[in-house]
Amino acid sequence: MPQDLDPVPWGAQDRFQAHYIVKPIVQMALDELLARTNLKTSGHFATKKVASIEWVGGDLARVLNSDAELRNMILKLSYKDAHIWVEPTKNGVRIHGKWKSSYELQISKELFQVYDRIASHIKRNLGSPPV
Amino acid sequence: MHDSESDTFPVKSTREQFRELFEKIGVKAETEQIDTDEVEKGDYYSKYFSHSPAMVTNHGCLKIKDANIDVVQIIQKG
Repeated sequence: MPQDLDPVPWGAQDRFQAHYIVKPIVQMALDELLARTNLKTSGHFATKKVASIEWVGGDLARVLNSDAELRNMILKLSYKDAHIWVEPTKNGVRIHGKWKSSYELQISKELFQVYDRIASHIKRNLGSPPV
Repeated sequence: MHDSESDTFPVKSTREQFRELFEKIGVKAETEQIDTDEVEKGDYYSKYFSHSPAMVTNHGCLKIKDANIDVVQIIQKG
């Protein structure tokens, strides 16, 4: 019997995500805290860079768009790291990036500072003081 | 030995490896026992975005100190 040339992957794959979670203190409206980056880029392949970013989503996206310092911080990140999602779930508001292989799953100081700044906006939005 | 598996195996868990990465960048973090944090019990995705995977594996959490982020959870697809 010939081997399937395009086997369907199943089971755990070499794709990881680290979710940076802010735990809510008060009940929140989920759709207000939704946000993701919309990127405009320049260049191709290895030289592809983020030229500008815009947050799209709920009320939180408007707050993140007004933070110029955060925008500058994201522009310094790599193209892959600049894809950021903010997803509210029942037990916490999750900030995460794209799926990465086990080899790529790293955290830099710059990336952590971006996530922490987004988390500070979420805390302010939830009515608790940021650290 | 022409096995597809590597000859060496990491003895550290994924969250322990991640804690060491945090230590390198000066962020205080401590590993938690798997399946003990509240965030591990509910949904991991809001399902508002189309990329949400159907099945994931939980690799546990790290508690972050002195930051706006409370917990970091490691998730694997599938």
